[in-house]
Amino acid sequence: MSEPTKLMPQIKSLKFESLFFQHETQDPILMNADFEFPTNENVLIQSIQGAGKSTLLQILGGLIVPQSGKFLINDSNVGEMSFEEFLPYRLSIGYTFDYGGLINNRTIYENLMLPLLYHKLVEVEEANRRVMEVLKYFDLEKFKDERPAHIPGRIRKISCLLRPMMTHPQVLLLDDPSVGLGQETSLKFIDLINKHRAERGLKHVFISSYDEKFMSHINHLTIHLDNGLLYAPQTEGNKAVSL
Amino acid sequence: MNIVWDRIESLGRTITENLEYTLKIFLMIYLSFRAAFLDQAQGLRQTLSVLSTQIYFTGWQAMPLISILALGTGGILVIQGMTNLTLLGGTEMLGNLIVVVLVREIGPLLTALVVIARSGTAVATEVGNMRANREIEALESMGINPLSYIVFPRIVGGIVSVLCLAFYFMIIAIFGGYLLTQFFHDIPFSFYSENLLRAFGKEDVAIFLLKNGFSGVIIFVVSCFQGLSVKKSPHEVPQVTTQAVVKSIIYVTVFNLVVTAIVYLNQLQKLGVV
Repeated sequence: MSEPTKLMPQIKSLKFESLFFQHETQDPILMNADFEFPTNENVLIQSIQGAGKSTLLQILGGLIVPQSGKFLINDSNVGEMSFEEFLPYRLSIGYTFDYGGLINNRTIYENLMLPLLYHKLVEVEEANRRVMEVLKYFDLEKFKDERPAHIPGRIRKISCLLRPMMTHPQVLLLDDPSVGLGQETSLKFIDLINKHRAERGLKHVFISSYDEKFMSHINHLTIHLDNGLLYAPQTEGNKAVSL
Repeated sequence: MNIVWDRIESLGRTITENLEYTLKIFLMIYLSFRAAFLDQAQGLRQTLSVLSTQIYFTGWQAMPLISILALGTGGILVIQGMTNLTLLGGTEMLGNLIVVVLVREIGPLLTALVVIARSGTAVATEVGNMRANREIEALESMGINPLSYIVFPRIVGGIVSVLCLAFYFMIIAIFGGYLLTQFFHDIPFSFYSENLLRAFGKEDVAIFLLKNGFSGVIIFVVSCFQGLSVKKSPHEVPQVTTQAVVKSIIYVTVFNLVVTAIVYLNQLQKLGVV
């Protein structure tokens, strides 16, 4: 197996310490949150609409820097890292968008190849093999040379979900993954997640979704985001509140 | 008194805003070059791919428009120059006139304006749409620094394109202008070329490189900066594109003016006039 482990440190813990984040002119999404995320699990993040689940995933992906507090990966503060210092972690974290995100001037095939070739994580042949394998699995071969604007929304969505999986990440952040996907493709995607967990080093999956049917196919824990606070999995009866 | 005070305050605010903007632009140049050189992952092939695309769109595709402009400008200048200099008895000054007007002043400015109109708008729109479509975020999520992947190749491609286009403009304007003039004046080519060679100096090469090189930097940094300033919504894209055009024109014109002023003050100083 050609795992790009050389660049990627093992991610063992994800933690917030007094973390505060607020979008301009909106209520705070996280208010001095102290929280250790469950690891080696599929974790569903639940909250009311607009409470900031997508923002929370973006913070976990290192795409947004909080205004104060710390986001610690393996006890290293992400906020103090430069783009280059955070790169090994970033390559271990796959982030999928609820909408958009595909590079419009590249074909679907090029979009999927981009993270592999840019970082030279694997040889071109291996990159091609990985991409063609998922394209075949999802029956996307006929769209591979099309640009995102020329393909149906369902194909765009699954392509967007597949791209971060090309690098075989340890952490997967899925923002509304099932929206516009269709039942069959959703189930195939869940199978792919399971395959990555079993064979390709995927360990921690965080999902923001309202789709109960989709989530019913995934064995998961639930954490709650409520009024800027994060609550630990209810199944463990641990209501550690951040304040 | 209040009106005067308000005007002073308004002027101060404008100057502060422009200084802040200029500082941000310099910071973006520094960060994009730093990112490009620190980015170990980005291979030469990736950089060259984006760079060559930029040069193709900015340089190669602008050549027909530049050709027409250069022919027109060169023709007008040589015809007017010959007509008026003949009346004044100074036809041997034609070379100096061409060098000063075409190479030093009009050439760089017209080339920059064409590049702003064609490519500055295109870059600001493209980058703005990338921002609105979350492509920039997607690049970051893949560990690709937008500054090294998007901004750096566009700045370098812009510099190369503007320099090449300005050189092309100069050649077409000088020789095309000469050919067009043949319909009105019978000027021997040897007279024309000797005049030109006599007028060219090292200083002209330096001014040509300085003005065109920096015009390329200004246009593409301002366009990228404006494009990246889109927050989320596609409705911001036309607004930032307009701002990119306006700011690029102002900055390029002011820069050209400042270089010209410094060069001529220097010449006057050498002559002992000031």
